[in-house]
Amino acid sequence: MVKTKIVIDYSKCGNATGGIDPRQCGKCLQVCDPAVFIRHMAFNVKEDNPYDPQYWQITPVWLSLCTHCGKCVKACPQKAITVSF
Amino acid sequence: MCNWCMKHGAGGKWYLNARNYSYELAEAMNLQAYLEEQWKNFEQVYIRKIMGVSSIGLGYKLRMPIIGRVIRRAVEGMIHSESKNRNPVRADGHFGQVIPIEEAKLIMLNLAAEPIIQNYCMCRLMQKGIKDVCCINFGVLSTVIEKLPRFIPENTKVRLSRDEAAAALEEQNRKGRVATVWFQPVPYICAICSCETPQCGGLRLRMDFGLHTVYKAEYYAEVNPDLCQGCKTCVASCQFGAIRFSPTLKRVLIDPTKCFGCGLCRDRCPHDAIRLLPRDENPLLRGKY
Repeated sequence: MVKTKIVIDYSKCGNATGGIDPRQCGKCLQVCDPAVFIRHMAFNVKEDNPYDPQYWQITPVWLSLCTHCGKCVKACPQKAITVSF
Repeated sequence: MCNWCMKHGAGGKWYLNARNYSYELAEAMNLQAYLEEQWKNFEQVYIRKIMGVSSIGLGYKLRMPIIGRVIRRAVEGMIHSESKNRNPVRADGHFGQVIPIEEAKLIMLNLAAEPIIQNYCMCRLMQKGIKDVCCINFGVLSTVIEKLPRFIPENTKVRLSRDEAAAALEEQNRKGRVATVWFQPVPYICAICSCETPQCGGLRLRMDFGLHTVYKAEYYAEVNPDLCQGCKTCVASCQFGAIRFSPTLKRVLIDPTKCFGCGLCRDRCPHDAIRLLPRDENPLLRGKY
């Protein structure tokens, strides 16, 4: 069984880890036809208002559904995504 | 009728039992605090480790010998949990069922608890980055969501009257989305979503991993071969890949085992060739949700 690995460089993407705010970008979410990525609030950060979280990141979750189209790698303006299998 | 109708249907379908919408029930279950805890961090549910396992690479995890079966059992148990100490951040007891538009409107006009709100769909927002006002929430959940700015639509009304909510559902149906009614958590009902694959989190688990987050409707679609003109309109409307066109027969074929009974094909058919039949009355489909 071929397992897909998608790695996001969180120093470039994710505003809790020194990257850009994924709420302003979300290009990978938009181009991914099987919707492999999820944008969620970061773990283990102190939010001023837990009802309105400000720190977000993107995680590739549904790896087994990845079709290896490579669109996310091309679309990422930060060049933060690598896909291998 | 399904297992949940037996338990929470008071002799009928679970989503037509007025008790499941009532404030008394929500209060008895202390749902204000529960749903607030759940919705504050809802987007984390697929990334969070639950019993040491997260949903990342779930497809591979479920395919592992033995361990995969254990995980599947654990997840199904969690989705359908009725235990007293349910965990809000795992979305315990949160699942739904596909319903045809007439039943969705019936719920909206008669059963849903006020206030009724429309808000950005969380699934589309987290999986596609799309802000789409299409979820209708009601009862206790409305007041919870109203506290969360990321779900509140801009430039449009948030609170809806019953008629407006029914019209909004009708509009979603026209766009080709499947109406689903949700326990959150079982047996309290507080949402009707307009879902589509692959963006919907619930349909994702059902369609791609076979987990019962969304049950098939109490109906299934059947095409009348004499009326079907082979225009293929219905093929494009099916979210579940249950319809295909046969060039030889010059008409469409519906696979009842794949059909979720949402009725979108029936609503689209210009020749009235498709009807919904009760799942219960077909001995081969009865109980297959």
